Amino acid sequence: MDVLSGPVAGVFRAPDVDYHAFAPELVLVAVLVAVLVVDLVLEGRGRRLVGGLAGIGLLAAMVPVLTLAVDGANRSMVGGAYVVDDFALVFKGLFLIAGYVTMLLSSDYLADDDYYEGEYYFLLLSSVLGMMVMASSRDLISIFVALELLSIPAYMLAGWRKRDLKGNEATLKYYLLGVFATGVMLYGMSLIFGITGETVLTEIGSKLQGPGASLPLVSLGIVFVIVGFAFKISAVPFHSWAPDTYEGAPTPITAFLSVASKAGGFVALMQLVFIGFLGRDDVWQPMFWVLAALTMTVGNLIALRQTNIVRMLAYSSVAQAGYMLLPFAVAGDLAKGPGAAMGPMTTYLLIYAAMNLGAFALVLAVARKTRSGEIASYGGLFEYAPGLTVLMSIFVFALAGIPPLGGWYGKLVVFKTLLDANTPWAIVLGVIAAVNSVIALYYYASVAREMWMRPVPDGDTTPVRVPAGLTAALSLCAVATVVIGVYPQVVARFGDLAVFSLLP
Amino acid sequence: MSVDYSWYLFLGAALFTIGAYGLLIRRNPLVMFMCIELMLNAVNLTFVTFSRMLNDIGGQVVVFFVLVVAAAEVVVGLGILVSILRRRPSATVDDISALKG
Amino acid sequence: MSELLRAYLTVVVFLAAAGMLVGVSLGMGRLLRPKRPSAQKAMTYESGVDPVGSIFGQSQVRYYIFALLFVMFDVEAVFIFPWALGLEVYGVFGLVEMTIFIVILALGLLYAWRKGVLRWV
Repeated sequence: MDVLSGPVAGVFRAPDVDYHAFAPELVLVAVLVAVLVVDLVLEGRGRRLVGGLAGIGLLAAMVPVLTLAVDGANRSMVGGAYVVDDFALVFKGLFLIAGYVTMLLSSDYLADDDYYEGEYYFLLLSSVLGMMVMASSRDLISIFVALELLSIPAYMLAGWRKRDLKGNEATLKYYLLGVFATGVMLYGMSLIFGITGETVLTEIGSKLQGPGASLPLVSLGIVFVIVGFAFKISAVPFHSWAPDTYEGAPTPITAFLSVASKAGGFVALMQLVFIGFLGRDDVWQPMFWVLAALTMTVGNLIALRQTNIVRMLAYSSVAQAGYMLLPFAVAGDLAKGPGAAMGPMTTYLLIYAAMNLGAFALVLAVARKTRSGEIASYGGLFEYAPGLTVLMSIFVFALAGIPPLGGWYGKLVVFKTLLDANTPWAIVLGVIAAVNSVIALYYYASVAREMWMRPVPDGDTTPVRVPAGLTAALSLCAVATVVIGVYPQVVARFGDLAVFSLLP
Repeated sequence: MSVDYSWYLFLGAALFTIGAYGLLIRRNPLVMFMCIELMLNAVNLTFVTFSRMLNDIGGQVVVFFVLVVAAAEVVVGLGILVSILRRRPSATVDDISALKG
Repeated sequence: MSELLRAYLTVVVFLAAAGMLVGVSLGMGRLLRPKRPSAQKAMTYESGVDPVGSIFGQSQVRYYIFALLFVMFDVEAVFIFPWALGLEVYGVFGLVEMTIFIVILALGLLYAWRKGVLRWV
């Protein structure tokens, strides 16, 4: 905090700003401002232009991410509060791509709706910007600001259809629980600040390994912070907003929330737990154990009895968050140190992003014809849309974890972490996870059965017309899902990168 | 002549608890927003107290950010609420229950 | 008496003094002033204009938008104060930073203006 203590000491040295390190965020801010201004000047007449500008902006922000990755140096700024390393870059890439795919999904959806407003893209870009900042935040203040920057636009996007009752309800529930979670997290942060006197995570980490770290107040702070983020990643019992918000929000936003927003929460948790709270695994490890076990089981059991595809995918994404929490629950027992749990989590998140975005893209494509979200409306899809049927089968079986489609590798690395830990608790958790995978297969397969074996419900077999943007998004996700399944080394490499740069 | 710091921390904890409890049991969206404010200001009080205790300006900087971001958050919330109440006057949270399952 | 209670004793004395001041001045007025009540005097004071409707009438939803805008821009000013205090210390760097900040804020105002929020209909 030398910027702020400057005037007190009577000297002020302008901080050296590493513009290369900030370039992805700066590009995004410039595009964001441009989108707002262009939309204001054209007053909604240039909808294609605004959408195109936003899409190009997301791709343009990818360029500095790549140059930074090639450069490879770890850049630490503002006294260690903002760090650009491989971990940050892997996730910045993920957020930009997820944002771009959401953009592809949105363009035709918005054009069909009478809700078009230029602010849609502005808000989406703001939320992506928040996630980009989150990936680099290594300080309590910047984590809080990033969390709010990614959440506040998301509240508005969830309620985009403001004349729709379900949309209203979606946004109100999301907002109230989101703000509640923020309050709980902040209170936890205030306790941790009070005990350690630091806001930078590395400093908190070293203080929490010294004397005074075992105070009950520290444990309370850690629990509060984790509970705050458990809302964000929709872990049971803090998941109640997720299915309602997912159903009421516009489907592209649902895809965005279930992938990017959830990944944002995981990124924050990884940074907090593996840097800040590293020495206190006695507090967070049992907590994550319970969260993971509950999240998997409850998510899968409720998903079984859903009749609406979006709600089913919502509960499925709750359950998937449970699998992603598994490495947290055993991190303290790993021989290579807790940080070794980050690789599997990153790998799983990347794979999950591809298959879940794909599944929601497909729901969008089918809903263009059937105008329904019921699983029954998928009956006989193979008869009139064989291409979409094959794609949907790829995505649901990938989510279920059937080789050789992407999902199996994510499950493999997560189970391998449990075996590496090799404690009784880890084995019990492994058994719970295995049982859950079998339960999950049932409801994923029921979608496939509906598509391949059931008759068309209303006998209408006109082919589904899929617009170009949606086709691009679908192919991108399908290719990623299949390629990752066949050559898992691709994502495993990213997973490894994300680990080593963060370990001290 | 000064009051012991722990009293401020207790006050902060009490305000936070009242806010959290109110948010969970009240059904009027406006009252729920007030409870949110109560929680966030309890956090601010705790930060400022710790900041004084530790003689570290960092805690007060956090309060600046919390203040501003909380204002933005509540403005968005009120905007959402106004748009809902325009369609359905005098709605409580229990009335807004089209989504279940 | 503990240190804490002693500290609050001053507060109690001040409270008593304040209560007495109000009581004495109002009581004196009551004793001295002439008393001629009329219906007009009981009316709500609306800056000389005859009041319309009940005092519990709801205000228009439009006030909300103005209030929300005000809260937003008012609170953002919190970042300008520390800079203003150390204006010379921060020099050109601070000036550039703050200009960017204010330009982005102004963009928000521009947005509100173009959306017609500032116009009273």
